Amino acid sequence: MIWIIAWKNIWRNKVRSLVVILAITFGLLGGVFSSAVMKGMAEQRMKEAVSRETAHIQIHNPKYIEDNEIKYTIDGESMKLAETLDTMPQVKAWSPRIKFLAMGNSANASTGVMVYGVIPEKEEAVSELWTMICDSCGTYLNGEKPNQIVIGEALARKLNLKLRSKVVLTFQDAQGNLSGAAFRVCGIYRTNNSVFDEMNVYVNKQEIAQLLAMDPAQSQEIALRLSDGETMDRVQQELAAGFPDLLVRNWKQIDPVTGMLADFLDVYLYMFMAIILLALGFGIINTMLMVILERTRELGMLTAIGMNKRRVFLMIMLESVYLSLTGAIAGMVLGYLLTIYTAWTGIDLSSLAEGFEKLGYPTMLYPYLDLNFFITLTAMVIGIGILASIYPARKALKLNPADAIRTD
Amino acid sequence: MNIIEIKDLKKIYNDSEIAVHALNGINLAFQQGEFAAIVGPSGSGKTTLLNILGGLDVPSEGSIQIDDINIGELSSRKLINFRLNNIGFVFQSYNLIPVLTAYENVEFIMSLQGYSKEKRKRRALELLEAVGLADRVNSRPSRLSGGQQQRVAVARALASRPKFILADEPTANLDSVSTENLLDIMEKLNLEEKITFIFSTHDQRVVKKAHRVVTLEDGKVISDESTQSP
Repeated sequence: MIWIIAWKNIWRNKVRSLVVILAITFGLLGGVFSSAVMKGMAEQRMKEAVSRETAHIQIHNPKYIEDNEIKYTIDGESMKLAETLDTMPQVKAWSPRIKFLAMGNSANASTGVMVYGVIPEKEEAVSELWTMICDSCGTYLNGEKPNQIVIGEALARKLNLKLRSKVVLTFQDAQGNLSGAAFRVCGIYRTNNSVFDEMNVYVNKQEIAQLLAMDPAQSQEIALRLSDGETMDRVQQELAAGFPDLLVRNWKQIDPVTGMLADFLDVYLYMFMAIILLALGFGIINTMLMVILERTRELGMLTAIGMNKRRVFLMIMLESVYLSLTGAIAGMVLGYLLTIYTAWTGIDLSSLAEGFEKLGYPTMLYPYLDLNFFITLTAMVIGIGILASIYPARKALKLNPADAIRTD
Repeated sequence: MNIIEIKDLKKIYNDSEIAVHALNGINLAFQQGEFAAIVGPSGSGKTTLLNILGGLDVPSEGSIQIDDINIGELSSRKLINFRLNNIGFVFQSYNLIPVLTAYENVEFIMSLQGYSKEKRKRRALELLEAVGLADRVNSRPSRLSGGQQQRVAVARALASRPKFILADEPTANLDSVSTENLLDIMEKLNLEEKITFIFSTHDQRVVKKAHRVVTLEDGKVISDESTQSP
């Protein structure tokens, strides 16, 4: 019966309760939607990092990571590694890459670039970069002509290049001799990461291996795409154990900033919500203190007729939890609906495009939140409701019933 | 048989610099089925005596035995439980729970005692009928007159099957018709069901109905007159 009384009690002063409930509703709405935007942004960034930039796992000669010299290849064990990768069911696709730094020169300008020598059909199965070439922006490496190169839009802008423009790459070959070759731009891609687009170019592995005086079977990097990202740690451990001389890293280790985002975003979002709830908790404490003050005589009467302290505490705690939960549920439902709507329409932040793209974030955001977030948030709201009731309830428990009954 | 025995009861308040002797050596006994009024001028100690009798305050000296239990020695937790099961309260300002109906107000105390829903319902309806409110069971206190609210309070006090009922100025806020009505109901319950009522009052209408009148002055009993035995 105390549960029912507590619920009825919160509607005694409708205006005051509604003010608190609305404050909680809008607090939670703002918190939930902000969290959804942040989570959506981070999820998109992580997804893009894996699908277009790092893949799930990369394998290198450890010395290559230290010195970035093309002589540090994966060779001696590559056959065995290839066989292993082909037989691992978790590995959806893998792509061997020649990877080196070069100077990219156009008629107008020059800049440093990272050149990826790839086998197009293998690379297309690992990286979705080929999908980022618009219809009027050419094609991915298709082997129709020799010396094709795919570049990013930001690099094209920087070097003033267009489709079918000529770009000269100069670099050191495997013997340390200065070498170079002219390439034709066959495709221009555009991701949401303008820094990535400005830096990375793609050429045919066979062709670049000849120019580098390298064995085309050798690679500086092998990128792995997994069927299920959840198996990443296990696959990484298996490969590291099977090939102790190679460096096997997952995308979180390759891109630690995005990796940290993935690992700590949830904690950060919960802290963000906890701060909002804490602020709202003080509002609830204030309301409950008013309630105790107004109902001093009634609380005295209840104690006098035999309602024990545990029940008085429970009643006040329930009122506080009901207030919090009513507002929170309304806020979460509204936040969820707003999230669903904006996830459907997307949020266009193209006015902030330059800043966002430099950080690798998309300008079209799709907010996202999972069910676990709402479950945890509900538990946090109940927790804050209980915490907010402790001080007012203690005040109520200290009332002397004989004095309280005579209060006006 | 005495259900309440008060021996050498003293209550001294030391809140201010001067100690106030609210009760100054009270010796009283109440039997089952009494209909007693405690009267006296303001400051005579009526309310203090009722508070100590009801276990809402503790004596400075002396003892109160209720059915051989010295309530002054009970812990706070046990005292609350003792009040729930042994003492019924009727307050001057009715003190009903405003969000509950008349029926729910009466039922509530039985829910604290752990009675089943069915038992609570049966007894609450019986009691509301006994106080003449069978047709107002679903009314909230705000929809009832003062007299009706006080009758609900009497039904609530009876609901827990207490050993006695303490009523602090129960008619102070009632008009003469409501007072008469309430007193008739309480007298009837006293006569027919041997329920013990102890009032503190200034109201001569209550005094006239009482079967025993205890007069206090300066914290002492100055007269104790019975008009009829319980």
